[in-house]
Amino acid sequence: MSWLPKQRVVAPVDMSADSVEAIRLALQLVEDPSSLHVVHVIPELSPMEPGVASGDITDETRRAHIEKQLRQKLKDEHRLEGLNIVVRVGVSHRQIVKYADEIKAELVVIAPHGRSSVANLLLGSTAERVVHNAHCPVLVVKKPRS
Amino acid sequence: MLRKKSAHYFFFWPLVIALAVAFVLPASGVHAQDAGESVPLEVASADSATSTTSEKVNQFFNSALGSVNGVIANVLFFSVTGDALRSEKWDKKTETPIVNEETGETETEVLRFPFIVALLIFGGIFFTIILKFINLRGLKHSVDVVRGRFDDPADEGEVSHFRALTSALSATVGLGNIAGVAVAIQTGGPGAVFWMTMAGFFGMAAKFSECTLGQMYRNTNPDGTISGGPMYYLERGMKTYGTAFGFIGKALAILFAVMVMGGAFGGGNMFQSNQACEAIITAFGWEGTPAMKIGFGLLMAVSVAIVIIGGIKRIGAATSKIVPAMAAIYVIAALAVLFANFTQIPSAFASIIRQAFTDNAMFGGLIGVLIIGVTRASFSSEAGLGSASIAHSAAKTDEPVREGMVALLEPFIDTIIICNMTALVIVITGVYHDIDQTAGVALTQNAFRTVLPWFPMILAFCILLFAYSTMISWAYYGERGWIYLLDHFGEGTGLRTLIIFRIVFIFFTFVGAITSLQAVVDFSDMMILSMAFPNIIGLLILTPILLKAVNDYWRRFKSGEMQPDR
Repeated sequence: MSWLPKQRVVAPVDMSADSVEAIRLALQLVEDPSSLHVVHVIPELSPMEPGVASGDITDETRRAHIEKQLRQKLKDEHRLEGLNIVVRVGVSHRQIVKYADEIKAELVVIAPHGRSSVANLLLGSTAERVVHNAHCPVLVVKKPRS
Repeated sequence: MLRKKSAHYFFFWPLVIALAVAFVLPASGVHAQDAGESVPLEVASADSATSTTSEKVNQFFNSALGSVNGVIANVLFFSVTGDALRSEKWDKKTETPIVNEETGETETEVLRFPFIVALLIFGGIFFTIILKFINLRGLKHSVDVVRGRFDDPADEGEVSHFRALTSALSATVGLGNIAGVAVAIQTGGPGAVFWMTMAGFFGMAAKFSECTLGQMYRNTNPDGTISGGPMYYLERGMKTYGTAFGFIGKALAILFAVMVMGGAFGGGNMFQSNQACEAIITAFGWEGTPAMKIGFGLLMAVSVAIVIIGGIKRIGAATSKIVPAMAAIYVIAALAVLFANFTQIPSAFASIIRQAFTDNAMFGGLIGVLIIGVTRASFSSEAGLGSASIAHSAAKTDEPVREGMVALLEPFIDTIIICNMTALVIVITGVYHDIDQTAGVALTQNAFRTVLPWFPMILAFCILLFAYSTMISWAYYGERGWIYLLDHFGEGTGLRTLIIFRIVFIFFTFVGAITSLQAVVDFSDMMILSMAFPNIIGLLILTPILLKAVNDYWRRFKSGEMQPDR
């Protein structure tokens, strides 16, 4: 991994404060905000969700909703603009790795905890799985002890 | 969204532990003696030296379910009248009272009036009165709303009023209307139907209340989907009263989430697969061997798994479109039977009404029949249980009360119309006098067979589809409970771990098919009716909020402020 500014960096987010920290750090490593791909993964819906059964809710409508909200939130609350926002449907770590492969990412920057500690203990974190499965360097952004 | 650790979050663990203790303690023998007598089980003969493996499997589940039944029986189904009420013991074969040979008096037994049934009755009547008979005055308006005359596509939500209604109905209309009525008549005589109808009528107000509140306190997720239902109005609605109520609301919400999973496993799943299996066996005149039931159970489990684990959206969508057609076929067939015997309709109605009040000692007298009627009506229409509120909260509207109006139609269609049709068919054809038929749905099939000999085959097919759609709809309800609970461990945990719930659900589908009806009905009743406890208590506390919204809506509606679009 060279120290030069990067062209394609993936920063997975889960709408928590930690993942915003990861975005900020990733921004220092890229040439331009548009080189940073902020990925948010939403899970599949139950086929019996009323809107799914009737066809009113599709992955497309969900993706559009999330993208709009995420963009707005990053802009209003964190003054982050001009980022590439990508919303994928499926299992978090698989989709993140898949997307990183697709764009031939040079680096993935991720916050360690996607869940509370109890769930982490039982299920493992998304970050752990991305570290295991990614085909590029992964930077896990840990917070310094306060 | 940033995850906020509210004060309620820290109450979660103590609550889970308290709940676990509440359920486990009675199991450890404190009430064991009571459990045995309240739960009659059809366990096959114990001296099973010759029994096959499949029979042993069957026995194991029968007795396992029996012990679970016993535990819940003591927590929410204790008798509100204690031992004060007694009913006569009758020999149902000869239809005569059992007389004690020494004293010459008729033998009696304690008649239990379960707390939860009392709560359901109270809830229905309370909401009917406090909402000034919304179940009558709102009927016309609710039909207009369903017809889409007040739809606004720009409103937030997932589906139109009509879709929300059909989606809730596909969970509601089904075996409760076909097999449930048969069970009611078998155990409570024709009189039980009268009380079912009454419960359906009062249930309309309860259903209205829960669906209105479900809309008021629903949560719009970042992806535009809706999460709603009792968990949300119990938690958020009560919070508006202050911290103390917020805590109670949270406790009730967690309790409901646990109960809705139980209801999904029981009435929404096991009862369905059990009766679907029974319907197929009866329709083709097969002998229901345990091996056959195991095969059928596996088949059912796989079919459910295809949708809920395989995530095949097309099947879910297809079922939701076929079910209304099936319901129509069923109603037409029932009308055909009634038409063929139309001279007997008045006398059938007469005996339904008469036996609701008198001539019903064999079924436990007036109170005994009333309890059976109310139980079966609640099971069928789900009014007061809160489950339909989950589906109705997805409707596109900015007027919560309007969706309540739509929901009002549900008990009307389900219990007052469809259940009564089944009941008339069974009463007119007289098949219920043969008490050897213990398998619920088989009774309905035989009733139809007397007039339409070929119909049981079609009925079996309808039942299969009804059962299937009810199972996948209830899987969804149960999932919402699971997600609500598990999300306390971090946002998104519920959805990520959903597979665990789904696997357990499918396991219960299989168990339901191979277990005896009595054990399944007892378990399903307890699980599904238990949902009424947190729900109705919560509804009662939230009544002021509900009343304010309803009165405001009705005033605007009457003043002509809301004009229908078309």
